Amino acid sequence: MMRHVLNLGLRLFLVCAVAAAGLGFTYSLVKDRIAQEEAKRRARAAEAVLSSIPAQPEESEELTALLQPDFPDLITVFEGLDEAGRRAGYAFVLKSKGYNFITMAVGVDLEGKVTGIKAVTNEETPGLGAVALDSEEYLAKFQGKGPEPLTLKVDVDAWTGATFTSKGIANGVNMALEMWKRLQEGGGV
Amino acid sequence: MIVEEKKKTLWGELRKGFITTNPLLVLMVGLCSALAISTRVENCIFMGLAVIFVLTCSNVIISLIRNFIPDQVRIPIYIVVIASFVTIVDLTLKTIPAVYERLGVWIPLIVVNCIILARAEGYASSAKVSHALMDGLGIGMGYTTVLLIMSVFRELFGTGKIVLFDKTIINLHIKAVPVILIMFPGAFITFALLSALLQWYQARKKPGTEEG
Repeated sequence: MMRHVLNLGLRLFLVCAVAAAGLGFTYSLVKDRIAQEEAKRRARAAEAVLSSIPAQPEESEELTALLQPDFPDLITVFEGLDEAGRRAGYAFVLKSKGYNFITMAVGVDLEGKVTGIKAVTNEETPGLGAVALDSEEYLAKFQGKGPEPLTLKVDVDAWTGATFTSKGIANGVNMALEMWKRLQEGGGV
Repeated sequence: MIVEEKKKTLWGELRKGFITTNPLLVLMVGLCSALAISTRVENCIFMGLAVIFVLTCSNVIISLIRNFIPDQVRIPIYIVVIASFVTIVDLTLKTIPAVYERLGVWIPLIVVNCIILARAEGYASSAKVSHALMDGLGIGMGYTTVLLIMSVFRELFGTGKIVLFDKTIINLHIKAVPVILIMFPGAFITFALLSALLQWYQARKKPGTEEG
């Protein structure tokens, strides 16, 4: 009996080990490409959310390192520079909890007003949350809010059938506004 | 099952997936994702390719190790094999962002696509490798064909045009389209019509065999 159980376990283990090795190998082949594509997508989103100011985003490791200890959901900060190279705003790329995890870019100008929102990855439920997160019209409703944190259903309506996603977007915006405040208080470096 | 008792030829194994054991219309497995994604032709092309790849690979591997797999833990082993191939597809597609953005959410669903598990359990686990290979290709292509027919019908009449890779291929120039076709009920209606059509065709081809 004991031998039988061991035999089953061993065979299952072998199959899993081979599968794991195969997956590890595939991952090692593609991981650099994936990281590159993700960085590109973040940069595109940052550009989109700052386009209304207008400002060119430049990734700032300094600001990211400054904020990340207090905001673990922050992925990276872009500084928005105007034509003369002066700082005109920020684009925060962050994770927020919707129905799944939302990665989004939030643009904030120097007055602490939201300049735009864009989803970097959309893993919300197709047909429900995903529609809300993809809707430029809906995301535009958040534009111009701040610097005070906004309340969902008061400042901006929730999307019918996608309450969790709407909450996730609002929380992400509030997180960005909080980070903006921190940067202002900290002298903005 | 009658088909499988006949002498198996490779060509026959490939062909049966289209009509006699079509996974969607006859076996009626793997319906959930088929109903969900057949709103756009483009999605169906990629989904079809991904399913053909995963199904063929898992069929071959499971057929190869069929004598090694103990009966009591066969299902977990099938799932591990299938999930591994799906993850490989997922990782590979991530390097092509244009495709991944459209299809990303559906890829993990291939794991739970019953077609693949059904073929692993019901066919590949007791078939020769060459037959399992042809079965995977045939069933996969049968699945893709039905997806394409459904999506062409739904996209064309539900939105009035077919958009493929950001280009409008066909435009009917009608304003009042039955939007219901691209919504969930439309999936059931389209599927039922297709299924009925196939039943009717088969019943007509060999009269009398349906009763009895």
